[in-house]
Order: sequence, then structure tokens, then C-alpha cells
Amino acid sequence: MTQPVSGTTKGGGQAAAAPRRRKKLTWDKVSFMLVFLGVPFVLYIIFVISPFIQAFIYSFTNWSGFSPKYDFVGLSNYVRIFQDNLFLKALGNNILLLVVVPLVTIVLSLALAVVVTVGGSSKGQVKGLKGSGFYRVVSFFPYTIPAIAIGIMWGQIYDPSNGLLNGLLRAVGLSGFKDYPWLGDSRTAMLASMFVIIWGFVGFYMVLFIAGIKGIPAELYEAARIDGAGRLRTAMNITIPMIRDNIQTAYVYLGIVALDAFVYMAALFPNAGGPENSTLVMAQQLFFTAFQRGQFGVATAMGVVMAVATLGFSGLVFLVNRLTGGKDQELV
Amino acid sequence: MATVTYDNATRLYPGTNKPAVDKLNIQIEDGEFLVLVGPSGCGKSTSLRMLAGLEDVNSGRILIGDRDVTDVPPKDRDIAMVFQNYALYPHMSVADNMGFALKIAGVPKEERLARVREAAKLLDLEQYLDRKPKALSGGQRQRVAMGRAIVRNPQVFLMDEPLSNLDAKLRVQTRTQIASLTRRLGVTTVYVTHDQTEAMTMGDRVAVLKDGLLQQIDTPRKLYDRPANVFVAGFIGSPAMNLLELPEADGGVKFGGTIYPVAREVLAEAHGSTVTLGVRPEDLETVAAGEGLQVEADVVEELGADAYVYGHTTLDGKEHTIVARVDGRRPPMKGDTIWVRPQQGHVHLFDTKTGERLGD
Repeated sequence: MTQPVSGTTKGGGQAAAAPRRRKKLTWDKVSFMLVFLGVPFVLYIIFVISPFIQAFIYSFTNWSGFSPKYDFVGLSNYVRIFQDNLFLKALGNNILLLVVVPLVTIVLSLALAVVVTVGGSSKGQVKGLKGSGFYRVVSFFPYTIPAIAIGIMWGQIYDPSNGLLNGLLRAVGLSGFKDYPWLGDSRTAMLASMFVIIWGFVGFYMVLFIAGIKGIPAELYEAARIDGAGRLRTAMNITIPMIRDNIQTAYVYLGIVALDAFVYMAALFPNAGGPENSTLVMAQQLFFTAFQRGQFGVATAMGVVMAVATLGFSGLVFLVNRLTGGKDQELV
Repeated sequence: MATVTYDNATRLYPGTNKPAVDKLNIQIEDGEFLVLVGPSGCGKSTSLRMLAGLEDVNSGRILIGDRDVTDVPPKDRDIAMVFQNYALYPHMSVADNMGFALKIAGVPKEERLARVREAAKLLDLEQYLDRKPKALSGGQRQRVAMGRAIVRNPQVFLMDEPLSNLDAKLRVQTRTQIASLTRRLGVTTVYVTHDQTEAMTMGDRVAVLKDGLLQQIDTPRKLYDRPANVFVAGFIGSPAMNLLELPEADGGVKFGGTIYPVAREVLAEAHGSTVTLGVRPEDLETVAAGEGLQVEADVVEELGADAYVYGHTTLDGKEHTIVARVDGRRPPMKGDTIWVRPQQGHVHLFDTKTGERLGD
């Protein structure tokens, strides 16, 4: 048997209807609030909010970073970075990453999660493929490797003459790829880096989606089967709507990764930016501007642009989910 | 519309060596309402899920009509199922829930809507078609689940304890609705329940299962009047039948102070020198002190017209509980002693060793 589908909690209505009584503040309550609300709040102000505000302020100055003196220059830093072709190129690259990386990662990990959990035989009990536990563990491995190690490792794999990839391609007879510089050619550098990022995250999001799918009552899948739904239809009409909140969260997280991508790009391309700056990202440009050119004011303006882009993207994801009928997903 | 046949169908769960359903043989007629009943773990739900294709069949066959569906996936069996927890799709409206199967089958939108509306009308759900299941009461959800099955117009309805999540009053109401609805539609129905009242009131025939084995399949009347073994005798009927192990005596069975006459050839069938005598509470009559069985009344339930005496008696040093129906106008008091005796011709005899029915 399956878990009961029913179980809505009722009672909020009655509580609201009852007259509100002001409760007495005891030392017990006050001390509780001080420790569990006050302390985190102060820490949050000091270490999270205030740097944000500081950064915002610095973005309107010509601070060089290593002197106590700076002047306010108004919006000129922003004007400057939006006239800077290199930064615009980096912004474009980030947007390309933002479009491709979350989408591909989620489609792949969702497909794998579905196969592992409910993709088994279409008769008998609802179950995944044979040996699904094995695939699950193996595909999680990449997530346990630090991003910097992943970057260095794939840098070696992509190496034109000694790399594993070209070695394999030659071994299967594709001699045309002899010495092909995957990361050195502006046509493939971005694709190759995207592949690395996606490779690193698919396993983790697969595990996340598996957890979501396991929370769907098996009876729903059985009902869909009896209603005549095949695998694809079940995935589209049952699985995805039931775990759309997980998908939304994954989309936001992956979007943040794509808008950053600093570690991967820095590790894959020792010559920053890659061929013809085809893999330059905003975070790298920010890093150079601040620490190599000593233009902290300009760099913080870039940081503010990144933060706004990230916020805007998250808002967009939530909005799209809301508009397409999310948020009334709670189980019956 | 179709017949359903279980032909030696067996289900053995991996990692166990005792089948959950053991060589089940049932023939269900076209349009018949068959109830599978039994205690928890008797294999009734498994049997239903085998018919649905949600459970593998390890050996034997299952046929719908003349078609062997043993290896057919559920989606190609042309069946509809009502689940215990309804299994409504929470993200779809009532209309979409009911029309999902038709949509998959490629039924054009107008026809789909018409059929959904027709079913909704039948089930009094018309004003809820745009709601999500979350916004419905338990009884309404149950009706949507029924509607989802009806809309399909399937060969067989399968129902897995569809009333167990409703409150007592609604359950009684819905019970009659379901029974009359399926008869009106004339669709073969297999209905699983652990509630023997549901089984007796709804089924054309009732199949009693225990430990994966079919005990008896018959009309409710016959099940009540001629239970095939001790298990069925004790399971069907409420309050349950009194079952007493009694010694054989000359010309019958010794029932306390009297001898209940039993034909010699019936007693000859029994193994051993005792038989199990079953008598329903309403078939016990109170007699004068010293005759029949002496019963100490522990609890007296007064139901108005009748009263039930729950008492105990001691036979050969062993204590047995006895339930007897008595006149509701003059019930004994708690702690009283009454004397009871079975009415002639209303007794069931079973072999103590095998539990099988003796004689007719």
C-alpha cells in the first residue's frame, strides 16, 4: 500500500477567528528572542547587509582599493562599464551560460531521475530500472569533487596533444581531431566549458529530483498507468507538475552558478578569457579590474550589476512558475 | 463489459516463500459485482492489483473476456480503478482528472467534455468541475474518483477499499450508490473490502480469502447460511458466530445439559471424537435453568428491538465467550445467568481438525 494522499492540515481558520490576546512578555520569552532572533540579526547586519551597502557605495567612487582616499564620481563607473566592450562581452557570455547551463542540466538530471525511480517495466509495481542504486551513486561522484579540481582535471582531459579526449578520439579512428585545441578554439571553448559545468552538476540535481519523485505517492503513478499514460506522458503530466517547486529551486541555483562560473573558467583557461575572450565571464573581469588594475570603484559597479542580474533572474523564475500555474501544488 | 477469469493465478513476493495469492481460481460473470473480502494480509488487494496489472503474476493466468492479459501492461487492459486514497491528480481540476484517460486515448475535446459532464451529472459533481481536489471534501473526492472510472466506460471496474476513508454515515450512503450505479451501468466490478457488511450488502457474490487462499465464493445468503469452513463461519456475520468445540454423544453432540441431535452419517465424517459446533447469536434460544448451556452475562447491549448478551461459559474447564440475541423487552441484567440452546436446524457443524463443514 502507499502513503495516504490525504492529510491537509486544517485549523488556521479557527485560530484567526478567535480574539487575539496580547501575551505577557516574560524574561523567558525576551531572552529567547534575544538569543535566537537578536544575535543572528546582528550578525547578519554586520556580515551580510553592511558589505552589500558598502559595495553599493563604493560603486559610485573612484576608490583604488589600497588608499584611504576616494571621491564620489556619480554614475560614471556604470556608464564606463556599459561602454566597455570587454565587460559587455563577459555579460553576453554569462547570459549564454544562463540560458544553456540550467536548462540542459535540469533536463538531463530530470530524465535520469525519472528513469532511475519510475522508468522500469510498464507492468507490475512502479519501480525504476534494474541497478538504479548503482547509477545513482556513480552519478553523484562529480559533485564531491571541488570545482577547482574539476576545472584542472578537464583542462588536462581537453589538452590538444596529451589529453584523454583527443586520445580517445584518435583511438576510435577520428584522426581529424589530432591535436584539436578544444579550449583553444573560439568555436568550441564555450561549449567545452559548459559541458564541464553541466557534468559537475547533473548528478547532484538528479539526486535532488529523485528525492522529490520519491515523495509522490505511488498510487498517482498507478492511476496514470491505468488511465493509459505511457512513460513520456507520465513524466510530463504527473512527475514534472508534482515536483515543480524542486525544479524552480534548481533553476535558481544553477542560474547563480551560470552568472558566476568564475572558478571553472579560471581553472580551464590559465590565459584569462579564453580564445578571443569567448569564455570571459563578469566575475573574471571584476577580478582583473579590482586586483590588477586597482580600479575598485569600477569593479564594485560590476559586482552590483552581477547582483542585480542574479536577483532579476531569480525573480523571473519565480514569476514564470507563478504564471504557469504553480503554487497550488500542495498534495490533496 | 466482459467476464474476468483468474486461472490458478499466483503471486509470490520476492524474498518470501509463501505466496501472497496462492492458485486463485475465480470466474466472474459479465456484469457481475464480485466482492473480495478477508482480514488484513489475506491477499485480496494483491489479487485486485494482479487483475489491474500493477502486480506481477508469477504463475497462472488472468483473462478479461477471452483475452489473456497476464502479460499486458495496465494501460492496455481497458480497466478503471478506484483507489483507497483516490489517487486524484492534485494539480488538475476535477474535469481534467476525470478526462485524463480520454485525453490520452485521443478523444476529441467536445466529446471528452460531454462525457465528463455526463458523469459529473450522474455523481452530482457538476458545480465542482473547475475545482482542484484539494478544495473538495472526502466524499466529493471519492465521487471524483468514481467519476474518473465511469467516464472511461471500461470493461471492468476495480475498487480497492474505496469507502474506507469516509465517515460511517457517508460510507453507508455511498455503499448503496456504488452498488446501484455499477448495476445500472452493467459493468463487471471487482470490489475489495475488509468490511463484511460492505461485502454482504454490495456483492452479487462474495469471495472470502485468507492467507492467500480462496476459502469460499458464493452469494451473500449462502455464505451466511452455509459457510464452508470455520474461518468463513467466524468471519461473516456480526456479531460473529459462536464456535464451540463439543464432544460427540450418542445421537448427537453434547451441548451443555442437552444433546443436540445430529445424523449419524454426518458425525461419521468427523475426525476425532469432538466436532466444532457453530451457532449464530440469533439462533440461540433461552431455555429454563438446567437445560442447554449455562452462560454468565458479562455485557448486555440493548438495541431496542433486540438485545445481545455477551457472556462466558465453561466447557471442560475451558472458558468460551458466547453471544446470544435475546428479547429486547426482557433482557437479562449484567451478571445474570441464562441458559441457552440452539434452535433445531440452525446449527453448523465443522470438523475440529480440518475446519471443513460437516454434512449439509
